[in-house]
Amino acid sequence: MEIVVLIKPVPEPETKLRPTADGRAFDGEGVKFVLAGYDESAVEQALLLKESVAGSKVRAITAGPAPRSEEVLRAALALGCDMATWVEIPKGADLDPLASARILATAVHRYPHDLVLTGKQSLEDESGLVGPALGALLNVPDFGGVADLRYDEASGGLRFQRVVEGGNEALASPLPCVIALQQAWNDPRTAKLPNILKSRKMPIERIEGGHEPLLSQQRRVAFRLPAPRTGARMIDHTTPEEAAEKLVRILKEEARVFP
Amino acid sequence: MVDFSLTEEQLSLQELARKFARTEMAPHAAECDRAGRFPEEIYRKAWELGLMNLNVPTEFGGSGLALLEQTVIVEELARACAGMTTSIIANCLALEPILLGGTPEQQRKFLAPFCAEYHLASFCLTEPSGGSDAGAVKTRAKREGDEYVLDGEKCFITNGPHASLYTVFAATDPSARQKGISAFVVPRTTAGVTPGREEEKMGHRASSTSTVRFEGARIPADHRLGAEGEGFSIAMRTLDQTRTPIGALATGIAQAALDHAAAYSLQRHTFGKPIAEHQAIQFKLANMAQELHAARWLTWHAAWTIDHGAKGTLESSIAKCFASDAAMRIADEAIQVFGGYGYMKEYPVEKLLRDAKLAQIYEGSNEIQRIVIARELLRAYA
Ligand SMILES: Cc1cc2nc3c(=O)[nH]c(=O)nc-3n(C[C@H](O)[C@H](O)[C@H](O)COP(=O)(O)OP(=O)(O)OC[C@H]3O[C@@H](n4cnc5c(N)ncnc54)[C@H](O)[C@@H]3O)c2cc1C
Repeated sequence: MEIVVLIKPVPEPETKLRPTADGRAFDGEGVKFVLAGYDESAVEQALLLKESVAGSKVRAITAGPAPRSEEVLRAALALGCDMATWVEIPKGADLDPLASARILATAVHRYPHDLVLTGKQSLEDESGLVGPALGALLNVPDFGGVADLRYDEASGGLRFQRVVEGGNEALASPLPCVIALQQAWNDPRTAKLPNILKSRKMPIERIEGGHEPLLSQQRRVAFRLPAPRTGARMIDHTTPEEAAEKLVRILKEEARVFP
Repeated sequence: MVDFSLTEEQLSLQELARKFARTEMAPHAAECDRAGRFPEEIYRKAWELGLMNLNVPTEFGGSGLALLEQTVIVEELARACAGMTTSIIANCLALEPILLGGTPEQQRKFLAPFCAEYHLASFCLTEPSGGSDAGAVKTRAKREGDEYVLDGEKCFITNGPHASLYTVFAATDPSARQKGISAFVVPRTTAGVTPGREEEKMGHRASSTSTVRFEGARIPADHRLGAEGEGFSIAMRTLDQTRTPIGALATGIAQAALDHAAAYSLQRHTFGKPIAEHQAIQFKLANMAQELHAARWLTWHAAWTIDHGAKGTLESSIAKCFASDAAMRIADEAIQVFGGYGYMKEYPVEKLLRDAKLAQIYEGSNEIQRIVIARELLRAYA
């Protein structure tokens, strides 16, 4: 099975995001980008499928600026992906989900693809639209919210679960198809040291993003951090008992949570 | 050209070690310390990820890292638990004599099957009658036909009870003192090899330390590393390689101490403000940071020196000695910043002091390091 997994660099989870000077986007300067969350799970799922179907290969593709794109692709290679493609998008290009899907569809078209896997949505902008748009552009079935993906030898297709209102659906699909995974569910593997070293020497195919960024319809006008929460207060104490006593008094007398 | 930045490759190794330290080691550090538990499941995972045989070339199944990469990894591991780190890096110490003194044939034979699976090895130099005077080794190795027969006792041997391979330094010619010492590879399965009880230790309690007795233990003559009489030199050259990672281990302890102290100083209030706003506490943190940086750069410098082909005896002794003394002072100050809580086992800083202490003692005590430093230094003036 030829598996393509689409990934996107996201800021390291502990990063404190700041807006850029013009206030339109978040400032990626000095931020460490990683393969994380849904995309890490998508890579894990791709590798599990590869391991269950002999002769399978996994290609990781990302579209974005340097150097963060190379870093997530190296991370995917270190985990066990066989090949990697970087679609170079100039820094600061404002891609809407459809433009992203177009760029990715063009890239996927260049390679054999029985299955295109994506995370449910990128942690960064949570639109969840790229998967469905990609299915339409590639003219193959697409499924969102998928879990427990397995290769079905009898039909040569896939079987999987989808969480729907009030229950779980069991579904089957022929290949090729596009699948957006539900969640960061599994326990993604950790790359082994020798594979990390090997991944640094593996080739990454670089292709130009073309003019798609210019076709982007959606514009990000501003990026704001959530308003800082106020009213937090530390309770001075020397023993846990004292802290609990003071807290109860505050809850009763000041916040009036209890009578 | 001098460059203090890590390459992307080095950063990704650091990231791996940091992630492993945080997710696998740190959650069990306090429990293993309290119970004196040897968490073999964690060591097995470290091996699976390639974090164990760091210095063994990849052709024999190791990670084949230069010393600088090793120090970057060891610091991250020790930040989470120095005791576990001691047990994880003990293989590097025990296998280095095979890398330095073994023939290509011996390296293939001993290292490849060893590294292909999870195994621990121990370096057996120290004896009950003395560690610092390593030339006075009393364990005997007598040649009998195609075999050597080993008799004697080693003590304070890291991973002793759990190792499947020992590199042992024994006298083939006791009258020749250090010129009469030879190095041997001794499989645990050899009849007459008995590790002793685990010692109860002050720190590094997730590591295990024991005696190892040799009573008429017969090994084939082809298990000797290097020539007869070359053992002392192999041991010293081994320590030239492994002292620097001990500097990194101490740096990791120091970093953990500063991390805890700084975070606590912002939370703890006295006299109406965080203690971090009292200048006495700020000065403590500032001093800790200075020593921590110095420890790290000395360690990196020693690693860099050796990676560039020099022997690095002076540099690695300076790094090990300074970093371990600094870790002691920094851990001590971290406890002071925590006040009474710092003295309590419920808080993480008292463990750091107990762990830092060992770095001043093992792999050549800091007195011995100073002797070495002075000798190297004075040679330049003589
Ligand atoms: C937890 C732990 C793990 C260890 N793991 C290993 C291991 O895996 N393999 C191994 O072979 N060894 C190991 N050791 C042994 C360690 O390397 C020795 O303890 C160390 O070398 C000191 O030797 P000693 O304990 O015999 O002290 P001694 O040599 O008896 O020294 C006692 C004191 O005298 C000082 N001293 C000695 N000679 C001089 C001198 N000439 N001038 C000034 N001061 C001097 C020393 O610095 C020390 O302070 C370990 C030790 C410990 C505690």
